[in-house]
Amino acid sequence: MRYQLRFTGVGGQGVLLAGEILATAKIKQGGYGVKAATYTSQVRGGPTKVDIILDDNEILYPYANEGEIDYMLSTAQVSYDQFKSGVKPGGRIVVEPNLATPSNEDIQKWEIYEIPLITIAKEEVGNVVTQSVVALGITVEMTKCIDRDLVYETMISKVPAKVVELNKKAFELGEKYAREALEKGPLKV
Amino acid sequence: MAREVISSGNELAAKAAIDAGCRFFGGYPITPSSEVAHEMSVLLPKVGGKFIQMEDEIAGICVALGASMSGVKSMTNTSGPGMSLKAEQIGLGFVAEVPLVITNVMRGGPSTGLPTRVQQGDVMMSRYPTHGDYKSVTFCPGNLSECYTEVVRAFNVAEELMTPVIVLLDETIGHMVGKAVLPDLEEVEANTVNRAQPDPNIPKNEFLPYDVPSDKPAVLPKFFQGYHYHVTGLHHGPTGFPTEDAVLCQNLIERLHRKIDVRRKDLLDSWEEYMLDDAEYMIFCYGSVSLAAREVVDRLRSEGKKIGMFRPKTLWPSPEEKIAELAQRFPAEKILMPELNMGQYINEVERIMKQRPVALNKANGRPISPTEMIEKLKEMGI
Repeated sequence: MRYQLRFTGVGGQGVLLAGEILATAKIKQGGYGVKAATYTSQVRGGPTKVDIILDDNEILYPYANEGEIDYMLSTAQVSYDQFKSGVKPGGRIVVEPNLATPSNEDIQKWEIYEIPLITIAKEEVGNVVTQSVVALGITVEMTKCIDRDLVYETMISKVPAKVVELNKKAFELGEKYAREALEKGPLKV
Repeated sequence: MAREVISSGNELAAKAAIDAGCRFFGGYPITPSSEVAHEMSVLLPKVGGKFIQMEDEIAGICVALGASMSGVKSMTNTSGPGMSLKAEQIGLGFVAEVPLVITNVMRGGPSTGLPTRVQQGDVMMSRYPTHGDYKSVTFCPGNLSECYTEVVRAFNVAEELMTPVIVLLDETIGHMVGKAVLPDLEEVEANTVNRAQPDPNIPKNEFLPYDVPSDKPAVLPKFFQGYHYHVTGLHHGPTGFPTEDAVLCQNLIERLHRKIDVRRKDLLDSWEEYMLDDAEYMIFCYGSVSLAAREVVDRLRSEGKKIGMFRPKTLWPSPEEKIAELAQRFPAEKILMPELNMGQYINEVERIMKQRPVALNKANGRPISPTEMIEKLKEMGI
């Protein structure tokens, strides 16, 4: 089965790493994972998207198919607006509510959750750089598209040794907030 | 035993260079090719090689050519704007017969264009990267594994034919990360081509580097071995010294063509055919576009449509007999040719096929999706 994910933000937020960890974990599981990013020539602040495709069979075209994306996570209004149309009707979207606000129309079309992941990284984990790993924890819990422990282990192997503990905390907080959001249910008009 | 790695195309190109014996890199970083240079800067010192980031792209190729002349397998790497800058020195590589691998990770052009986005705008530029008359050699990987294997092949062919070889990657294939299956290192090393050296029976002071048969590459001894010879961008005769002799000048240019022409079929022609045996429709493409094309073939095949794909891995010189043979099997209106430019290689295909396939062109920095190809094929009546 194919699972298509999209992380969107602005350049400099570090969403590339989260995508790479997911793809790597899927490959370690014996499947196929591909990450393909699109960014702008602005050094910081340009809309960025990372498509991640996970499949048990070979993946050729590395980008998500527009209109078929199962899950999107967004941390910037500009990229949320630009890339949301790729998500399939009824698909799941997580937004950082301080940085992206979905319209009422969006709330009717998709299952949207608000999780302040940058605030979580900054205030609860204690380092804003961990936001991509918070996003990773949220994504694993929200999608269940891949074995959680495998992603967790892959994450540990990919982050610098001296910040492993910090990133473990970030991942676990992401999972916790996602669970809470799911219990509360998606946004309603 | 094949090796399985998780990597980007750019990193694989660097890994391939090292495995193929490259021990010198000179260049200047440019999006979307910089990861090749970065990876080389990490890998080369570990194998005793040298990496130099020069002051610009021109100096990057100059120093790489110099290293190659001294006998070390060398590489430079860039994207479109850097190719424009390197143009003059690529010509020196052709006429002086200096092996060099140039990876060009294509981005949107012309000029600075779309630095972070994909295009296949440099296809014709790879055929004629510099002024003058010559034959160029260009390979075009169509998946992650080939970012490795085609770069290895480029190093071997550069040495065999004593000429610069261009490997055309693009932003999509250079930056995408996924699983790649690579040939075993021992296999790569066993097939490594090293530069031909002079017959040791010829006294060093009598050796003439360009005194070779009319269809053979020059034999350039590594520097500092006691041979004295001249290397120049001017037309030259057997000694390597400049000449304006009518016969020698004509012979030189004819030989630069012939040394490549005579090896095209056995050494250069390379392509992939996918599900073509019973196909009624064909997608003819190259590079990263073939990833979407293969997906299209799979999707349409599952609906019972008879479609296949053809993809040259060697773009220049083009595999003429093979393309002509395809023209016998497929009428033009059943061949779709998607390109991330306004139609470049289609002109070469039309020249050979004597018919023009249906074009699907895009040059706005975005990839052609499988859905877009299917729409076009439906218009074509599949």
